[in-house]
Amino acid sequence: MGGGGRKPRNFATFRLFPRAGATDPNDRVFIRVDNNDYSVPGFGDDEPYDPSLFQTDAAADHFSPTSGPLPEHVRREILELGLPDDGYNYLHHLRELRPTAATASSSFVPNQTAPPLPLDVKAYDASRVRIASGKAEDELDEGRTMCKVATKTAPVRRIERAVDPDIARLLDETDVFHGGSEGEGLEEDFVIMANRAEGDEEADDEDEEMVGDVFLSDVEEDEELKDDEGEPKQRVRRLLDEQFDLLALEEYGDSDDDNDGGVRDAECELPTEVIDELKLFHNQNVSVTEEYRTPADFVRGKLDMSTTEDVNESANVIQKCAEYAERYLNETAEEEVVPVSESSDESEMWDCETIVSTYSNLDNHPGKIQTPGNPKKRRLPKVFPGETAIVDIIKLHGKEKLPVEYLPQSKRNSGKEKKAKPAEAPSAEKFKKEVHKETKEEKKERKAAVKEEKREARKAKKELKGMYKFETQKAQKVAAVTGPASIRLM
Amino acid sequence: MAAAAAVYGGAMKGGKLGMEEARELQLNRIRITLSSKNVKNLEKVCADLVKGAKDKQLRVKGPVRIPTKVLHITTRKSPCGEGTNTWDRFEFRIHKRVIDLISSPDVVKQITSITIEPGVEVEVTIADV
Repeated sequence: MGGGGRKPRNFATFRLFPRAGATDPNDRVFIRVDNNDYSVPGFGDDEPYDPSLFQTDAAADHFSPTSGPLPEHVRREILELGLPDDGYNYLHHLRELRPTAATASSSFVPNQTAPPLPLDVKAYDASRVRIASGKAEDELDEGRTMCKVATKTAPVRRIERAVDPDIARLLDETDVFHGGSEGEGLEEDFVIMANRAEGDEEADDEDEEMVGDVFLSDVEEDEELKDDEGEPKQRVRRLLDEQFDLLALEEYGDSDDDNDGGVRDAECELPTEVIDELKLFHNQNVSVTEEYRTPADFVRGKLDMSTTEDVNESANVIQKCAEYAERYLNETAEEEVVPVSESSDESEMWDCETIVSTYSNLDNHPGKIQTPGNPKKRRLPKVFPGETAIVDIIKLHGKEKLPVEYLPQSKRNSGKEKKAKPAEAPSAEKFKKEVHKETKEEKKERKAAVKEEKREARKAKKELKGMYKFETQKAQKVAAVTGPASIRLM
Repeated sequence: MAAAAAVYGGAMKGGKLGMEEARELQLNRIRITLSSKNVKNLEKVCADLVKGAKDKQLRVKGPVRIPTKVLHITTRKSPCGEGTNTWDRFEFRIHKRVIDLISSPDVVKQITSITIEPGVEVEVTIADV
């Protein structure tokens, strides 16, 4: 190679790369890849990387962000998009959706619902709120709803429903619901009874009226209702009235609305006995201004009760209470009376099961009954039969730590004397030699025994290993694919 | 060659001579190289490009299929050295297509910006006509 035959390199190579920092992978730019001197005007060779090239109308604005008001077409476009017209070019924050192959099929456009509100904020659909026209008229101008008024103040293109249309419908229905039943009015039982008892006691009447008024003011806000309720209140409701109502309901069945017969429904649910009871109760005890009456008062004859049985019962109750009190006062010194259950003749016969069932497992730990086993036999006799010296401990000698005394074919020497007198030198030497020899022999034997044992153990281990080689190979195959590398199988 | 093309263009359309001439003067030979692992996407992009170019009445030299390069990776399956010596054979195929056009660079930019699938790499080489 050299500079002579080199061809003139008159070309430029560009590659498509995804734009840096772009979320869309289809947003790509041409970037020059070679180093030739050739320049291509249209491929961004002259200008540096410029996003404005891909935007149709913001090219001019990109280079003059703060120069005066925005050009008209830009402003128009900003307004069209719904963004405020405050001199800031919001188009910079927008990107055109190019119809690439990927985006055409997979672009996701979220629906235009309002963002979910935090819990402490409630959104009401104000589109139907009626705005007063300023005159004190009963008829409200149906035409002037919030939406229509709003349109005059600011251009509202699209009324977003703050509330689901289903929910709005339900709310409307309940409004109608209340409006229909306002005339009849739902009343509580005590109100009814108060109205009935108006003739008997004036105090009750006052109370109930107050209660009734309060109740009404809670439920209905219309002043008309109070006037409506006043009319039937003027006439005292008698027992006959209620009976008539029940009869009417029976006759005409459930064809009425539930709301219309609200009061009657409540009454008719109660059986007549209960109503009578309630009446009795009312007559007896519901008297706030009068003095409090105890059962004792009734006993002494201040009662209005029709039945005498109740009187007797109450009297009995009092007597019983007094008796018990006396008994307890006297019996505090004595032991506590333990209730003993009465036992019939049948249960007098105890059997194993019943006896055992009375035991608690806290004290009684039942176990399985087994045949009595033999006591544990000692593996090693503590003392050899022929031993004269009493040896309680098995001593381990030598390097291998073996119980020398209990090895087979070992000659024991109870008295080893290393310190021998010189007078007895020859004999001592001889003796020593013997001892040594014996010990040497002993050592040899010992070592041989140990060797044998080890050999046996090795043999056994090898056998065992070979027995399961196939299994381990299989497991290894599996572990190579699935298991972690730290497991060592063979 | 550029001058000849201009003359030719001028003879054909008298009225719009100015515009056509300007555009034709910019004609370059453009080679678009498309490469990808995925044949389906690649063929689709190729087809779209050729179609787009033909719609704009450009001279197109159809997708030339360069032989696919197959990169092999052969590894032992076992993480340790033990066991029967089993091997995995992985391969990685690169497909390449080349399309030649004669047009101005702007047109090419338009076409390539629209029809791009993920996974397809595009390289554009522009030279004089």
